[in-house]
Amino acid sequence: MDGSEPGADDLVFSCRDLRYAYLGRFPALDGVSLDVHKGEKVALLGPNGCGKSTLLKILDGLIFPDGGTFTAFGQPVTEDNLEDEQFSAGFRSRVGFVFQNSDAQVFSPTVREEIAFGCLQLGLPTGETAARVDDVLAMLGIADLAERAPFQLSGGQKKRVAIASVLVMNPEVLLFDEPTAALDPRTQAWLIELIADLSAAGKTIVLATHDLDALDVIADRCVVFAEDHTVSRVGTPQQVLTDRELLLRANLIHERSRVAL
Amino acid sequence: MHIPDGYLSPQTCAAAYVVAVPAWAIATNRVTRVVKTRNVPTLAVLAALSFLVMMFNIPIPDGTTAHAVGAVIIAIALGPWAAVIAVSVALLFQALLFGDGGVLAFGANAVNLAILMPFVGYGVYRLIAGRAPLTSRRRIAAAAIGGYVGINAAALATAVEFGIQPELFHTASGAPLYSPYGLSQAIPAMLLPHLTIAGAAEAILTGGVLAYLARTDPARLAATHRDVPATAGEPAPAGGRRLTPARVSLGFVAVMVLLTPLGLLAPGGAFGEGAPHELNLGQLGLHAVPAGLAEYNGFWSHTLLSGYGFHDGQHANLAYILSAVIGIAVVAAVIFGVGTLVERVARRRRGTDPVAEPETA
Amino acid sequence: MGGTVQASRTPDWLLRGEPGLCRCGPAGIRRKGSFVEKTLTGGADLLRQVMFSEEIAGRPGLLQRLDPRLKAVSLVVLLVAVGLVHHVGTLVACYALTLLLATASRLPLAFFIKRVWLFIPIFSGIVVLPATLSIVTPGEVVLPLWHWHGAPQGFTAQGLTSAALVISRVATSVSLVVLLTLTTPWTRLLAALRALGVPRIFILIIGMAYRYVFLLLGVVTEMYEARKARTVRARRNDRAARGFVAASAGALFGRAGHLSEEVHLAMVARGYRGSPRTLHAFRLRAADAVAAVVVLAAAVTIYGGDVLVGR
Ligand SMILES: Nc1ncnc2c1ncn2[C@@H]1O[C@H](COP(=O)(O)OP(=O)(O)OP(=O)(O)O)[C@@H](O)[C@H]1O
Ligand SMILES: [Mg+2]
Repeated sequence: MDGSEPGADDLVFSCRDLRYAYLGRFPALDGVSLDVHKGEKVALLGPNGCGKSTLLKILDGLIFPDGGTFTAFGQPVTEDNLEDEQFSAGFRSRVGFVFQNSDAQVFSPTVREEIAFGCLQLGLPTGETAARVDDVLAMLGIADLAERAPFQLSGGQKKRVAIASVLVMNPEVLLFDEPTAALDPRTQAWLIELIADLSAAGKTIVLATHDLDALDVIADRCVVFAEDHTVSRVGTPQQVLTDRELLLRANLIHERSRVAL
Repeated sequence: MHIPDGYLSPQTCAAAYVVAVPAWAIATNRVTRVVKTRNVPTLAVLAALSFLVMMFNIPIPDGTTAHAVGAVIIAIALGPWAAVIAVSVALLFQALLFGDGGVLAFGANAVNLAILMPFVGYGVYRLIAGRAPLTSRRRIAAAAIGGYVGINAAALATAVEFGIQPELFHTASGAPLYSPYGLSQAIPAMLLPHLTIAGAAEAILTGGVLAYLARTDPARLAATHRDVPATAGEPAPAGGRRLTPARVSLGFVAVMVLLTPLGLLAPGGAFGEGAPHELNLGQLGLHAVPAGLAEYNGFWSHTLLSGYGFHDGQHANLAYILSAVIGIAVVAAVIFGVGTLVERVARRRRGTDPVAEPETA
Repeated sequence: MGGTVQASRTPDWLLRGEPGLCRCGPAGIRRKGSFVEKTLTGGADLLRQVMFSEEIAGRPGLLQRLDPRLKAVSLVVLLVAVGLVHHVGTLVACYALTLLLATASRLPLAFFIKRVWLFIPIFSGIVVLPATLSIVTPGEVVLPLWHWHGAPQGFTAQGLTSAALVISRVATSVSLVVLLTLTTPWTRLLAALRALGVPRIFILIIGMAYRYVFLLLGVVTEMYEARKARTVRARRNDRAARGFVAASAGALFGRAGHLSEEVHLAMVARGYRGSPRTLHAFRLRAADAVAAVVVLAAAVTIYGGDVLVGR
């Protein structure tokens, strides 16, 4: 399925023929295979409801496929394996997930506690956690929001807090679900730059997006889903963006829209 | 129905905490054991929801307002112990956020709305629903009736707490110190709006939400409905403890017996004169005298001895115990009777039509 | 599900202009807001109030400087003392004390008084009124209103005393609680409860529930506004509102369930395994020790003074 097949030892995620249906009735993934290598930036593209968020949740070990296999860092990820204290702590600290809905992700009473949550759960000492929280707050420019409650934040600020709460754990792999949706252009540009920086620092990045403008900055490889919950195409941003037929089918452009390349 | 501070004597409030604290402890223990990680967000969202439900004050014709609580539907979806926690948190918000007070009275409010209500409502629901399929009309009616009975049980308990105040606590000249209405005034005043408007609101809420969940998202009901078939056609999965009329009646008696001493634990009661270790704490499921109670003891006896005479108080207590015993017995008998009847009807229908599950509405 | 939206699928009537199902000018019929609307306005007020409290809690005042744990314990001690008082005079003195504390803590006094008394007349005033009459509280009739079997009936001294006791006690108790909640940021209060032995899991639930009250309130408001925008003509406001509540409760429950699922995933994603850990530290200072002594002395004075005046 995959185009590039370098050595298997730098494989981060490996999915084979994943199937998933919500409540056993609503199909979301129907035979999806995908490999993600270390340091790669992979973008998941596709129409609404094709299963991008579902795939990301599987990659983060939050839901488990009905069929097919999923291995991360060479270990199979199953509900049973994640019951194991050490495997779970290792996996959770290596993979971070920024959710599509920041209201669900930002659940603590204050921003500071929100950002500290992950480190504390994984057993980092309080002192070190506090220091890291301060660093991340400064880095994302939200130090003045530290004591605020989430309901006093705007959508973009909440997104920053959600990203901070994941970055503070310093994961190797970052999963983003529609990170630029509902952000103003400046914050969007900032986020795209951040993703590029993180990638330059060696992080592996998988993101779901509808945003074609920045595709060549935020992705090395694109995986395009079809409405029938399968992968219809894998290629570089250049290849995908020039395939007008494909973009039309994936609802990424409209008949009348023009793609600036 | 939320009691603010100032309507109940501190002694009554302390007695309510004696009932509530062990219940919270058991609830925390149970809920953390049963569902490992899912419990916290679910309970938090349900607590927020219950708080919102309580915010919706429905105007009633006499000029005041009544509201639903949502305790019974939470008990149906996640079990009564989960409801204990969720509604307690909602009540805490009511006390602190709205500034309605109710800090000392928090224990009493929790006993009425977060403990008594979900257990009574859930018991009635289980009893009436039997093994009817999830989407059956009988189950939805059972939820509605459970909600109705639950909120009225809570209202009754509130009324009793109010009603015993003037007898037990008054100045030398006879002016009531706290809630001025006796049992004969407090009970009708509380029950009237709850038997009508608030009861109906709770019934609609409970039945409506259960119907919605059974239709759209039966997985959410799985925790408490393991031995129940989803639709009429499916056979019921085996296993699970059955709720028989006898069990429910006994449960009711146990809850009420636990609650009855509420009024009597307060000074002026038959126990009030003694030291805390004379209280029948074993009956309350307590093995040690709570530190707070022991501390208050000095306060209590002092108040008692220097304060109002006991003579009329003791008669009131005797009458209270007597009426409590009779009342509990009557209601338990009614629950048993109705339960047995429902079971028998259900069994007869099943007998005539062995394939389909009964659909009594 | 998805699919490209095609203009040809748009029904004709949507593209044609329509004069409107009703005329747009005023007809002189107005309806008062239903209870749902009132509640939603109340919800918005609540949010505003919470934000305002956070602002007040940040001001440099007397009570703001004290340790939240100490404040919480003091609140309970004072509430018990106030609860045991037998004289209206003592209660009035206590109420005056709360006003003093409010001033020392830089609370806007008018706001503080309004906050307490707005709630009392509704709840206590009306409720207690009948108790002043001899039919509820028998005793010495001070103001006869009518006669029944030859005996005068009306306001009794006992009834009036009782009403005054209840109202002043409720006012003082509410004032004390409001003093605590207005001078303590919510998260500090939560941390204080934790430090005082409330189980961690409870604290976590309370913290999250607080967060989601506002989110769900927003959802209800949205649902109501969406419905209101579509409602052309309601028969009777409260009845329609009751219908709305019944219809939306199920949907809200579903939304809430979905939300809790998502929050759960977000917690698990960051390593949550069922035993929450939190980040808090408290330090007691000399001022707190002094305050503790003052509170105890005050409680003893309130109770002792009341006993000395006579029972
Ligand atoms: N909780 C759920 N219950 C039932 N069905 C669901 C649930 N979540 C998603 N689905 C269904 O699964 C399918 C895939 O959903 P998913 O959220 O993965 O889509 P997506 O590609 O992320 O879409 P979008 O671009 O709109 O975010 C959809 O058809 C959706 O209706
Ligand atoms: Mg999505």
